[in-house]
Amino acid sequence: MKLGPKAAAAAITVSAALALTACGGGATGGAGTAAAKTTSLTLGAVQEIRSWDPAQAHVGHFLQPYQAAYDSLILREPDGKLSPMLATEWKYNDTNTKLTVDLRTDVTFSDGAKFDAEAAKANLDHFKTANGPQMAQLTAVSDVKVVDADTIELNLKSPDPSLEFYLSQAAGLMGSPKALGTEGIKTEPVGSGPYVMDKAATVKDSQSVFTARKDYWNKDLQKFEKVTFKTLIDLTARTNALVSGQVDATLLDPKTGKQADGAKMKLVSTEVDWQGLLLMDRDGTKNPALGNVKVRQAINYAFDRKTIVDQVLMGQGAPTSQPFGKASGAWTENLENYYSYDPAKAKALLKEAGYETGVVLDVPAVPGFETQLAVVKQQLSDIGITLNVGAAITNTYTTDISAQKFTAIFFSLFQGEPWVATNQIVSTKALYNPFKNTTPELQAKIDAVEHGGKDAGTLAQEVNKYVVEQAWFAPLYRVNQMYYHNSKITVEPQVQQAVPSIYNYSPAK
Amino acid sequence: MITFILKRLGSGLVVLFAVSILVFSLLYVSSGSIARNILGDQATPEQLAVKEAELGLDQSIIARYISWLTHALSGDLGTSWFTSEPVANALATRIPVTMTMVFTAMLLISVIATLIGVAAAVKRGWVDRIVQIGAIIGDSVPGFVIGIILVTILAIQMGMFPATSTISPGVGADAWVLSLTLPVIALLINGVTGGAQQIRSAVIKQLERDYVRTLRSRGIGEREVLFKHVLRSAAPAGLTVLSLQLIGMLGGVVIIEQIFALPGMGPLAVAATGQSDQPVVMGVVMYTVVVVIVVNLIVDLLNGWLNPKVRVS
Repeated sequence: MKLGPKAAAAAITVSAALALTACGGGATGGAGTAAAKTTSLTLGAVQEIRSWDPAQAHVGHFLQPYQAAYDSLILREPDGKLSPMLATEWKYNDTNTKLTVDLRTDVTFSDGAKFDAEAAKANLDHFKTANGPQMAQLTAVSDVKVVDADTIELNLKSPDPSLEFYLSQAAGLMGSPKALGTEGIKTEPVGSGPYVMDKAATVKDSQSVFTARKDYWNKDLQKFEKVTFKTLIDLTARTNALVSGQVDATLLDPKTGKQADGAKMKLVSTEVDWQGLLLMDRDGTKNPALGNVKVRQAINYAFDRKTIVDQVLMGQGAPTSQPFGKASGAWTENLENYYSYDPAKAKALLKEAGYETGVVLDVPAVPGFETQLAVVKQQLSDIGITLNVGAAITNTYTTDISAQKFTAIFFSLFQGEPWVATNQIVSTKALYNPFKNTTPELQAKIDAVEHGGKDAGTLAQEVNKYVVEQAWFAPLYRVNQMYYHNSKITVEPQVQQAVPSIYNYSPAK
Repeated sequence: MITFILKRLGSGLVVLFAVSILVFSLLYVSSGSIARNILGDQATPEQLAVKEAELGLDQSIIARYISWLTHALSGDLGTSWFTSEPVANALATRIPVTMTMVFTAMLLISVIATLIGVAAAVKRGWVDRIVQIGAIIGDSVPGFVIGIILVTILAIQMGMFPATSTISPGVGADAWVLSLTLPVIALLINGVTGGAQQIRSAVIKQLERDYVRTLRSRGIGEREVLFKHVLRSAAPAGLTVLSLQLIGMLGGVVIIEQIFALPGMGPLAVAATGQSDQPVVMGVVMYTVVVVIVVNLIVDLLNGWLNPKVRVS
């Protein structure tokens, strides 16, 4: 039997409709040919902003969109140098417990409010009380005092060598005092920054659109007419959007990077995180073997870091033995290859420590790190250490860490400023030092950094050296963050940031 | 009929209530770290305590559930713990994207699967074999793989469609159509192949029945036999399959939306579940349960309308 005419007609209609929609797409496709200098910038953002309240701002990937709307007190240059922005000058007293900050007086917010000392104080006070994800940045600040219309003083409970850095990050973002604390600022930023949000074109979980603010005080920082942050959480989606020309730049990984290379995208790579083991139970409270420095050193000698980088990261990383980053000031050349690949030495150390019959190490499974964990397990088994990979981490991970649930973990950690990193992984306050290990010798070195002012970085080299020699960690490598962009724009990488600051983009010449 | 609908709605409400208690309890178990997750690595115990009080995490599970329920009953689904966005807003902006896609896919599946299924059942031979092979392939290749293949060829190489969503306020219907075409195709392939297979079997079964022979012997045209009598009797099986596919699609659409960066329910559900963002997860789950209940009700009503025997039973 043949299909009836109605059925056939329906089939034809459906296929015609599909074909028509397909044809209609022709105009939007392809990366296009860039003739004139571009005036718009579209970035593939890895995450969505939680709240536009500057007190809820975050670091890393999250900072960039805030920079479109908000100026910060201090500007961090691509190389990490701190330059004036809303603050023109800043100076510590002799004991590093008071920071006096001079401010610009010619800046207004997008709602018309004026930026001055009162506004700066309002922001810093708000940041301290709003309980945002980075509120620890101002923990050392006891109070903020208005000296005159263009000067404030930050009084500190104890010195904080990272404070100036923090004022270039979340804590330094300045919102309109009229808008701080309101519901409105959560969904629509009100700052003095180079761009203002186009609320009508912005869709939550899809895109945030900004247009250049008229009469912005610093035209050098405002290089585009329009800036769009397109939320692309999925790596495949980011790759597709970049190679098809929907976004100008985005963050990829070694595998998807190959696709971008094929599409002639340009790579800007920076080292940001280190990955490896955190041997956290250094006093052997729960795992006595980890209390023995020779066991921890043996673990460090077990890894063929170069091969791991080549095979696991496709060469996109640098083998290292130290947990402090290259740009931190605490990094030293001779610690880079402190633990070379030496299984024989590792076995000898285990024997000396009385653990030649074997050591058992328990770590939780970290989603996304299956390959790394498999390699670590295999290389440790070569020297007689058994790595038990337990249950996958859950969203109670950080609480579990602080509750001393794990004696060791495999993780990826940010390599920030020396004092930031110290408080993240080394000091007794650090989340990633849950057993609160310390020694008088180490504490003295940490105290020296805290009171070191401008010398904090150099002094932190001693902390770095101590934790490397004592094998507090077993770092494997620093990871290259692979940031790709097309030829319409130029991008300057930002030290210690996977995603560059918004000021680092400009139209290609 | 009205009693039937009321009964079904009543049982639907009971299911909704039971699911809400279950999901709320599951979220409660994993909510220990919420404050830490919001405030980050360096938060002090005092700051964590303030955050917990702010979110009501310091109260008992029963108090929290009653508070959520009373608010939900008055139409207030709360505010996301992580994004400060009201849950009702979040759902209102995302449901249209997801539903447009799901219903377009369902409509196309119904039409295409029926046509192919009937053709295979009637023609048999090589047409049937192609449909059978297609069903196996369609069943074994996940929708997101089809999606990635479509993007690579049609969007990236040929530039016919955008690789990721271009849906935003004020864009014309063409942007919607272009943005949704590839995801819809990715979504419907499994449905078409699976649906066609089921409809084929149901139609063959009916064609072998005595009443078909009787109708034919009375000289009733083949087309009338097929579309008026056979399809009507085969409809319940087809409708059940389609309703199951629609419900299954609510899961598949999550991955498709991620790949195409569509601002639908998928990214919202994934983000909220990953963070244990209780108000949002509850909102998403309630919405999904309501859709499932409504779809089942509609299928029952359609079945009754198409096939009087069902009404009697």
